[in-house]
Amino acid sequence: MTWRLALLLLAAASLVPASQARIDQHTGTFRAQEEVLYLWSGEHVRRLVPGFESLAADIYWLRTVQYFGGQRLFVSGKRFELLRPLIDITTTLDPRLEIAYRYGAIFLSEPPPLGAGRPREGVAVLERGVAALPESWRLRQDLGFFHVLFLKDPQTASRILIEASQIPGAAFWLRTMAADVLAKGGDRASARLMWQRMFEQSEEGIIRENARVRLSILDSLDARDALAAAVAESARRHGHWPARLDRLAAEGLWRRPLADAAGYPFGYDPSTGRVFITDQSPMWRPD
Amino acid sequence: MVRSPTGPAADEAPRERVLVTRRLCKSYRTGHIIQGRRPALVDLDLEVLRGEILGYVGANGSGKTTTFKILMGLLKPDGGEVTILGAPLASRAWRQRAGYLPEHPYLYDYLTASEYLDYCGRLFGLGRETRRERARELLSLVGLERSADIPMRRFSKGMLQRAGLAQALVNDPELLFLDEPMSGLDPVGRRLVRDLILAQRSAGKTVLFSTHILSDAETLCDRVAVLRGGRLLSVGPLGELLKLDVTHLELLVSGVAAGAPGLEAASRAEAVGDRLRLLVEEGSLGRVVTAVEAAGGRVLGVQPVRRTLEDYFFEELGGAPQGAAARGAGAWGEG
Amino acid sequence: MGGRLSRTLAVAANTFRETVRERVLYNLVFFAILLTVAGLLLGQLSVRQDEKILKDIGLAAMDLFGTLIAVFIGTGLVSKEIERRSLYPLLAKPLSRGEFYLGKFAGLAFTLLVNLGAMLLGLLLTLLLTGRRPDPVLLGAVFPILLGLLLTVAFAMLFSSLTSATLAAVLTVSVVVVGRFADVIRGMRDVAPGVPPALVNALFAIVPNFSNFDFKSKVAYGDAVPAAVLGWTMLYAAAWIVVVLGLGLAAFRARDFK
Repeated sequence: MTWRLALLLLAAASLVPASQARIDQHTGTFRAQEEVLYLWSGEHVRRLVPGFESLAADIYWLRTVQYFGGQRLFVSGKRFELLRPLIDITTTLDPRLEIAYRYGAIFLSEPPPLGAGRPREGVAVLERGVAALPESWRLRQDLGFFHVLFLKDPQTASRILIEASQIPGAAFWLRTMAADVLAKGGDRASARLMWQRMFEQSEEGIIRENARVRLSILDSLDARDALAAAVAESARRHGHWPARLDRLAAEGLWRRPLADAAGYPFGYDPSTGRVFITDQSPMWRPD
Repeated sequence: MVRSPTGPAADEAPRERVLVTRRLCKSYRTGHIIQGRRPALVDLDLEVLRGEILGYVGANGSGKTTTFKILMGLLKPDGGEVTILGAPLASRAWRQRAGYLPEHPYLYDYLTASEYLDYCGRLFGLGRETRRERARELLSLVGLERSADIPMRRFSKGMLQRAGLAQALVNDPELLFLDEPMSGLDPVGRRLVRDLILAQRSAGKTVLFSTHILSDAETLCDRVAVLRGGRLLSVGPLGELLKLDVTHLELLVSGVAAGAPGLEAASRAEAVGDRLRLLVEEGSLGRVVTAVEAAGGRVLGVQPVRRTLEDYFFEELGGAPQGAAARGAGAWGEG
Repeated sequence: MGGRLSRTLAVAANTFRETVRERVLYNLVFFAILLTVAGLLLGQLSVRQDEKILKDIGLAAMDLFGTLIAVFIGTGLVSKEIERRSLYPLLAKPLSRGEFYLGKFAGLAFTLLVNLGAMLLGLLLTLLLTGRRPDPVLLGAVFPILLGLLLTVAFAMLFSSLTSATLAAVLTVSVVVVGRFADVIRGMRDVAPGVPPALVNALFAIVPNFSNFDFKSKVAYGDAVPAAVLGWTMLYAAAWIVVVLGLGLAAFRARDFK
């Protein structure tokens, strides 16, 4: 009799993963994340878990990180409209979770496929963070940076960076940077410096990874510009655009690889002499 | 209510009353929506004398357990006064000198018997060595010395009853209250408890125990208090309660047939093997003996028929009189 | 006085023994498993997040497990004794109802203290083993948790003196849940302006504010709880506990054990 019971139990147990798979097919594996779109505001969730807000914040934070990719920077198929509510709920439950503001800001601001491509929302998240954590100079710094890097507003950025520099414990170079930003209107050198700072200040993870990529993009832009200069020099010498980029090496005008920081060869239009980063490359960004 | 004189013999000093209740009353609420009151005890006047064993008998629901619970402070009486060992009921001082065994005792099943007795000892303020000694003694007394370190969840009903008895004796009490002490015990256990109760009396202790097993009350008690419907029916030495009703004698005869002449004076004749058992009124004894001998028979023995407590009990409660005669049981214990 | 105290302590000691033998402390095993699993799985996040989440989980588990113990053991303390009648032989001894009641409370309080202490040790050990230094600031959250649990026990005992164990558990859980929402009640005027303030205040007054005992978030970020706040919290808890225990004791004393 017992073997019949065992068989029954085995059959029932095997139904569990099978039915789970079917359910997932219909409703997707991230139901819990998607509920945030329809049901919950941060305040609602906070009211429901008195005494356990911090733990709930951690859970929502974990969900956020899981959904948008823990270590992998380039994820596809994610619905970025979930990012804002998840970050909002997390930071309402625990306003001191600094990393959530930063994470939300970056991935709301970065253009697709990396992020949502909505820098205004990213900046709004940072503004909430700055309001909740006025003593955090790093958040304020980030806010300033984002005004330059994504909103192209060096005036506001400079003002914010000065405010940041006045917070006790702030980095000494913030003042100088504020002046530079105002003077040079957010040129590439300033941008590089900002991404460099953000790179240095983050832990290992996709925030740091993103900064690294951004720096590589700046390297690639620099390389593209240098290559374009070499092409122009070649044109000046021969009176026409070089037929191909590898010609430049033969002329001694270019000794480096003809690829961007990601290893993708630069694109070249011999009719106009334009050098560009191809849009297949991860270094490509819309202007 | 029949009350028999309870006083000592003329030349003895009056004995101390260790328990006195006056007009003790208790009623319970009945019903859920429409509430009435059911009286459990009505005007109970009871006295227990030092050094005696008083049996507290009555049918189920007559108020025996209610009385005990009131005495132990588990129930609050509706009215009346109680004095125990000279102290009022509410005082805790007398509890140091009394012991209680509830009906169907439940003792903590996660403890061993030794641990439980140790715990009880602590509640009496006994020192550690004393507690250990007492526990050993008592467990040996109730026959549990080999089960001292087994968790009581593995005890049988009889073992629990005995452990319960042990805890009632932890403080070597002067006054013992035992509610149905024989319940759940096999004959060996019952014998043990009987001996224990008698030993307590020999040591000068007082025992009040309730039972619905009338033969136990008969064999152990100096006095018996009979309870019916919450009222005390009668109380007194057993002999006095029953003596008045000894009116018949039982004769065991042989060598004579039931229909022999002269034997019609017997109220009843019953054949037992080749003998005859005759129930005879006191006044007719002589006539019947003569008739038996005249018929060539022999009288083997004459025994007064004593009414048992059970007979008394059933009669007072209004059931059919069940004398030894009616039951067919012999005075010598056969049948 | 010595007699009273020693009898009460005897009851307390036996109550502690009962909880140990009824395997209540096995919940610590689940706690240990929880922390270990959490510690292992959190590796994907950044180092600083690990620590905070571990502390959050540890403190929340202390609160939750402790509350479960307080409710379910607490309601059994009195009602089990009454239902099983194990109370009877004890009350016949020179043990007053008050000594019994308070002894039971003290016994379970000690159990909770031991339980929380072990969990705290476990949490500190886990933090140590994952490379963080143990932070004494955590005590600032654990002590108020204990206070909250003691108050929960007092309620559990009050209800179990009045009614059956099951109903008592439901009522106690209700009080604890509503108590955690006390701030919401207090802020009701912001959300529902039509509610008369007298009603809101009355509601707030009769329910203990369990959020007073919650310093978990604060402590997880390394902030110390000021001594003055701890002192007032202790006073608040003591006042409530005295009231609730007193009511429970009165109910227990008045009860007929049929």
